[in-house]
Formats: sequence, structure tokens, C-alpha cells
Amino acid sequence: MTKITFVQPDGASQTVEAREGDSIMQTALAYSIDGIFAECGGAMMCATCHCYIDDDRTGEASETELDMLDCAEDEVRPSSRLSCQIKVTEALDGLVVHLPVPEE
Amino acid sequence: MLDVPLNEAVTLADLTRDPYPIYKRMRAETPVVRMAQTGRILVTRAEHTKWIKENPEIFSSDDPTTPMKPAFQAHTLMRKDGAEHRAERMAMQPAFSPKVIRSDWAALYARIAEDYVSRLPRGETVDLFTDLCAPVAARILAHMLGLEEATDAEMIRWSQALIDGAGNFGYDPKLFEVSDAANAEMNALFERIIPRHQSEPNNSAFSVMLNARNPIPLSQMYANVKIAIGGGINEPRDALATIVYGLLTNPDQFEEVKKQELWDDAFEEGVRWVAPIQVSGRRVTQDVEIGDVAVAKDERVLTIQASANRDESIYGGTGEAFDVFREKHPHQAFGSGPHHCAGAQVARRTLGQIMLPLLFDRFPNMTLSDPSAVIWSGFGFRGPLNLPVTLR
Repeated sequence: MTKITFVQPDGASQTVEAREGDSIMQTALAYSIDGIFAECGGAMMCATCHCYIDDDRTGEASETELDMLDCAEDEVRPSSRLSCQIKVTEALDGLVVHLPVPEE
Repeated sequence: MLDVPLNEAVTLADLTRDPYPIYKRMRAETPVVRMAQTGRILVTRAEHTKWIKENPEIFSSDDPTTPMKPAFQAHTLMRKDGAEHRAERMAMQPAFSPKVIRSDWAALYARIAEDYVSRLPRGETVDLFTDLCAPVAARILAHMLGLEEATDAEMIRWSQALIDGAGNFGYDPKLFEVSDAANAEMNALFERIIPRHQSEPNNSAFSVMLNARNPIPLSQMYANVKIAIGGGINEPRDALATIVYGLLTNPDQFEEVKKQELWDDAFEEGVRWVAPIQVSGRRVTQDVEIGDVAVAKDERVLTIQASANRDESIYGGTGEAFDVFREKHPHQAFGSGPHHCAGAQVARRTLGQIMLPLLFDRFPNMTLSDPSAVIWSGFGFRGPLNLPVTLR
């Protein structure tokens, strides 16, 4: 079982059991995690599943993902990822995902 | 597994007049059904429309049988899949990114909105549709695309010509004559302003595409700008008119929205209630089951997001009503999958955060004395055709 922890900007966190093969985005939607909207459904066309992950296990964002991240609503950092592009595997057990601060 | 049932009764004219009772019945009885008049298969449940849009390998946008190509004189990104679609879309996307909206478009739009709203005569009854919704959408779009030289009237006329051409499934040559003439005018303008965008680049879509490190072909830049003209006026125009109608015909909600400044919620509910783009077409690339209905390769399906947005499985029995205060659920007005609306964030910001608060700050007691005078129309695109309000 792969446990993923989602941390909100105010520090509130929720640890959930992710289904293998789902993306982190799908996991977030399944548990109604605030801050992940995923409007395009994982097609890498909207950047509304933007999150911060500081963990080598998730690899690097592709060129295409980086282009789309440029269109993210919130601050883009070196740890920025589109959560639809990361598949849940057992190897990611314990992964911590930070949600962005809604900008206004 | 069932064969696709056939509906011989429903016509495009019925759906143009008032599609919602028909969709409600289809969702309950025949959620996947062939419409005899068009030969195309209508899909009306939210779960199916979303799935179709998110699976472009099975449901391709590339359909050579639509009138879009003659209307736009190009094979546009709307009708492409995969890497080709992405390359053309991403060439334009930076102009619509939240960063550029904040840095360039928000202040400009506020100024334009202020300008157009201030021209409206206080105390009088005006058609808000023609006096505000359409021209303000045209002006901001002209700036975002880098076409400042075009007048509001030109932008509106070109947009309508492209839409009428793209919806010309009867292949009436007269409609293509109109869209051909509009294409010639647009091409002439584009050509004329290329030097300006090369010498003074800005964040407009045309400028961004022209000055990109690896530019897409010029013909596709033209096609992209035309797609944005075709889609960028009627949708914010219809959304604005729909939201104003929804608020003015629900005074209790209107008061509460003003008090709590819930303009973003009013925007989302308006586009959910009557999605400006009601229908999308896809070509089926392999034999597939939609629900328990077998659909064969090469069939054409129409996803009805207008119907999905009122689906009982999401909204219970209240989906037909305009209700800003309903429990929040994701809607499909902006679609899903690779063709998810590239203008979604722009629309949210310009309408929800700028236009609505500004309009009702100036005319907080606006009234619509005769809602029955408002004519609603449209199958593919839908909204009011007029909005006679009294400005108070």
C-alpha cells in the first residue's frame, strides 16, 4: 500500500492510501484534496493540478510539463510538478505533496 | 450490449429552440442515441461526455467531414490530436497564461470594461447584449490577439462569419461566401500588422507566435488567431448575458451575491447552467462501448456538455435551475482532456473578477422587467439573443 501525504499551505495535512497506477492527481481527486482541480483531466493542458514535490523518487518534469507549468496560476518553484504526470507506485510510499497558495 | 437507438422525432430546430427538456429525457431514457436528422450519435450523460473527451485515441477530434476546414480555410488545432495539436496550442498559450493575464490583460480589461460600462445611459432601458456584452468581448480579444487595429464591429462580424461557416453542416455555399470574405479581410489585416509585431513584440497571441524561438508555420498562426476570434467573442458575450439573466431573474440570489461579492461563483454557475459551447464533435476510431451501447468505428459522436452540466447523477434534481449557492461540483462548460478551453482562466478573470463586479457596482439595482422578452437560441453555441435591462 502506498501512502501519500498532502500538505495544505496552512500546514494542515492528510495522509491517504493511493491506488497503484493512478496518478497523484487522480489520488487527490479521489480523496477530494483541496487545491487540485485537474480541469483537463490529466491531458497536460491546464496546470490546475500544480503542486510542489521535493523528492528525487518522482524524477524530473519533462519539457512539455515545464512548458505547461509556465502557465500555472500559482508561484512556480524548482519543485513544481503537474500531479497528473506522476504515477503512483510502491516506490513512492511516504511521498509528501505540498499544495500551492492560491494567489490573488 | 445494445445497438444505438434511433431518435427520429427530435430535430435541430427543436434543439436550437429549447434543448434542455429533450436532453433531460435522453439522459433518463436513451443517453446514447442516434439523431436521425444528423446521423450523429448524441451522448448526454456527464460520465460519458467526460470520458469521451479524455480519451482522444478512441475519440479523435480529427474529422475531415466537418465544415470547419472550408470555414477557416485551414485544418485548425481544434480538429487535430496529439503532438500536432499541442505544438499549435502551446504556441499561443503563453498569451493566455495567468502571469500574462495579471501583468497585461487584467488592468487593460478593467479600463476597457470601465469605458464601455460608463457609456451606458443610467435610468434607461438598453439591450445589454448588443450595447455591452458583444463589444466589450470584442475589444479585449482584439488586444489579447494583437489586433488592436480591428474595430469592434469587424471582430464581431468575423467571429459570426467563422461560427456560421463552421456550423454549416448543410454546406450552403452562401455561408462559405461570407466566411471567405471574412477570411480575406482577416488575412489582409494580419499581413499588414506583422511588421509591427516584429519590431514591437508584446504578449499578445499573434506577437508571441511570430516571435517564438521555434515558430509554427505562418498559416497555422493565422488559423490559431481565427480560432480565437471564432471562439473568443461569442462565448464571453453569451456567458455574460446568461449570468446577468440568471441573477436578475433570481432576485434573492442577486441580493446575496452582491452582499457577499460572490462574482466568481455567479460566473461558474452561469456557465454551468447554460454552457456557451453546448456540443463538441468527435470521430470514433475503433469499435467501442459507451455505457452499454455498442458504437462502431467511424461513427461521429456529439458530446453534449450542456446536458452533462445538468446531469442528475451530479446535481440531483436541481440541475435545471440557476443557483449560485448550490453545492460546488466540477462542470464541463470548459470541456476536459487535450481540448480543454484555453481561454478558461481568461474568462474567469475578465468576467468573474472584473466585469461583473464593475457592472453591478455601477448599476446595483438593474432590472429585467420582462424576462419572457429574452430570446434564447442555439444548439452548438447557446445564449440569449437580446437582454433588455433597465439600468438603475
